[in-house]
Amino acid sequence: MNRALCSRAYLLCFSKSKSLPFEWMDRAIKLQLSTSEMNYFPDEVIEHIFDFIASHRDRNSISLVSKSWHKIERYSRHQVFIGNCYAISPERLIRRFPCLRSLTLKGKPHFADFNLVPHEWGGFLHPWIDALSKARVGLEELRLKRMVVSDESLELLSRSFVSFKSLVLVSCDGFTTNGLASIAANCRNLRELDLQENEIDDHRGQWLNCFPDSCTTLVSLNFACLEGEINLSALERLVARSPNLKSLKVNRAVPLDALTRLMSCAPQLVDLGVGCYENEPEAESFDSLMAAIKKCTLLRSLSGFSEVAPVCLTAFYPICENLTSLNLSYAAEIQGNHLIEFVQFCKRLQLLWILDSIGDKGLEVVASSCKELQELRVFPSDPHDEEDNNTAVTEVGLVAISAGCPKLHSILYFCKQMTNAALITVAKNCPNFIRFRLCILEPTKPDHITSQSLDEGFGAIVQFCKGLRRLSVSGLLTDKVFLYIGMYAEQLEMLSIAFAGDTDKGMLYVLNGCKKLRKLEIRDSPFGNAALLADVGKYETMRSLWMSSCEVTLGGCKRLARNAPWLNVEIINENENGRMERNEEDEREKVDKLYLYRTVVGTRKDAPPCVTIL
Amino acid sequence: MLSGSMPAGGELLIPVTNSGYWAFGLREYPPGTKPSLSVNLSLSLTFPSTSSQRATSQDWPPIKPRLRDTLKSLRLRQRGYNTALFIKVYMEGVPIGRKLDLSTFSGYESLLENLSGMFDTSVICGNRDRKHHVLTYQDKDGDWMMVGDIPWDMFLESVRRLKITRPERC
Repeated sequence: MNRALCSRAYLLCFSKSKSLPFEWMDRAIKLQLSTSEMNYFPDEVIEHIFDFIASHRDRNSISLVSKSWHKIERYSRHQVFIGNCYAISPERLIRRFPCLRSLTLKGKPHFADFNLVPHEWGGFLHPWIDALSKARVGLEELRLKRMVVSDESLELLSRSFVSFKSLVLVSCDGFTTNGLASIAANCRNLRELDLQENEIDDHRGQWLNCFPDSCTTLVSLNFACLEGEINLSALERLVARSPNLKSLKVNRAVPLDALTRLMSCAPQLVDLGVGCYENEPEAESFDSLMAAIKKCTLLRSLSGFSEVAPVCLTAFYPICENLTSLNLSYAAEIQGNHLIEFVQFCKRLQLLWILDSIGDKGLEVVASSCKELQELRVFPSDPHDEEDNNTAVTEVGLVAISAGCPKLHSILYFCKQMTNAALITVAKNCPNFIRFRLCILEPTKPDHITSQSLDEGFGAIVQFCKGLRRLSVSGLLTDKVFLYIGMYAEQLEMLSIAFAGDTDKGMLYVLNGCKKLRKLEIRDSPFGNAALLADVGKYETMRSLWMSSCEVTLGGCKRLARNAPWLNVEIINENENGRMERNEEDEREKVDKLYLYRTVVGTRKDAPPCVTIL
Repeated sequence: MLSGSMPAGGELLIPVTNSGYWAFGLREYPPGTKPSLSVNLSLSLTFPSTSSQRATSQDWPPIKPRLRDTLKSLRLRQRGYNTALFIKVYMEGVPIGRKLDLSTFSGYESLLENLSGMFDTSVICGNRDRKHHVLTYQDKDGDWMMVGDIPWDMFLESVRRLKITRPERC
């Protein structure tokens, strides 16, 4: 074995251990280390080199280089990301990556977040836990998004994996606090239990009591989405015996005094989610809270605040200059002026999620105060336009932010009105956008000054923001905007369309133009069979396509399914009582919801009656 | 749309201020029977440009359920509505009114059905038919408006009283 080559490879890795592997391979090529020379390294060396490559995409690329690299990579892969749980089966996953330690699984399509997917559609966790358990995989981490999780699965999970450390559930449902009790009781090495926005049946039980006294390893505990009461003393004891606890997000059942006590015994907290304090606290309670907060000098991230009296926000003034992340998107009771007063002091803020009650004026304050801002989300406090307020945000706020925050790369913005001029200005101010999601509350609303469509505005966004990976469009839009998107959005991976476009050409521009497109979701737009069927092979390069309330027909979907056996073409009909026997013959019938995705394991067997797989 | 005496099925369109219509489907019933309004369950905002476009209050705007619920319960708390919602109902020409608990109805169709029974006549939303009583309401601003234009939950929050009028007034 060539020691010189080997030591050079090691030097490269150690000096650049955080960089992308292609940089490394680039340098390797420059130093004339070819892969065939690398093959003279023992497998352990190559495996060690691979350890520096964490991104699953890079690892996928490495596994394609050669047979031996494929094999080495297989056995050394510890983290696996599955973007669509129906694209592969648990058995095949385990066969390929037997040394799996961390698994990320996503189930329902994104529009399930907005009630567009029936509850019983699918995305069940159980088969995965079952298979992993039987194969005795050393699972340590499980991250799930939009999956159906049962108490049985959680119980099996808690008993099957001795080294299990981390459970993160986002937008999941199907389980109760009994499932949480199993996790608490049986996972001896639990470090992280993070429940984000799940629908959990709260039995108001004693799940927190189930953490044994010997459990002292908790680093992160988030139960903000639980609706019910919890055992406060159990929580306090748990926090007191968890010296490594960095992140604590409590639910609405934790009153102010309890929060004060919790913070007092966990001054090392970095991330805090606050509960619910409707009534103004008494002076003494408030002072104690403020004193406890002052001691939390490491606190960088704050969230929660649903149903909170505005004065409670002021208790956090002592540490607001340290905050890098602030999520006040549930703080519906805190008026704009209080929000502005607080945010203006958060000079180090990188992430801000807030309600539009902050107003354009508030966003101007953010623009002048928060120069480190990278991600902004502004949610609608009045989604159905019921109030007559003029304090919601408009294009003025968006332009101010784009002008004031040079590091901004991700934005989600709900507003009542927009103009092309504003969007063009924003595009020129922020060419570094990676994610741009704009939602104008009224569908098909035009530029409110010129009454024209917003094609030019969004066109500017895709033209100037060359690194754009995610885009959501809204307002009045014709096929032209899709022409622009297809032409300019070269890095676009995910596109969301609602109430837009005129003809099939719109969708075709996108499918033909966006080479890196992975996820396309469309609702209420006039795209039909011609667009759907034009390039069937395109769907093999994508994770999934969603089309609801469009013009595609049953006949079109059937033709697609026939020509693309590697796709699962699902028709979802919520109004039908059973499968579509009645309409079997009527191929001209428009399909209510279409969801198609590439898969290597064919038709799934767990589809409910409202789903027909063609 | 509506012809002659009784609506014979198909859709009754109720104009909405901006650009859409609320659509009710009506079922046919044999002649000679007492006109009782039975309305289809589908309630949708239809934009004239594309027939299939629908945005219900449950799926638009695209916000997650938890935020939607938080804002909704805040709204209800601000209006102080937790239980019953009794409002006065008058029929034009009849001096004595009735009281109705709106919280017992699931939507416009059950309200219309109940009113038709209570006042022994056919009551509808919309102003296209000269033969039927039209339901109107007084909102929180004091203005008299046509019932049926806005989503049911929004209606519950702004309705102050109901009046069943003759169509010519609308």
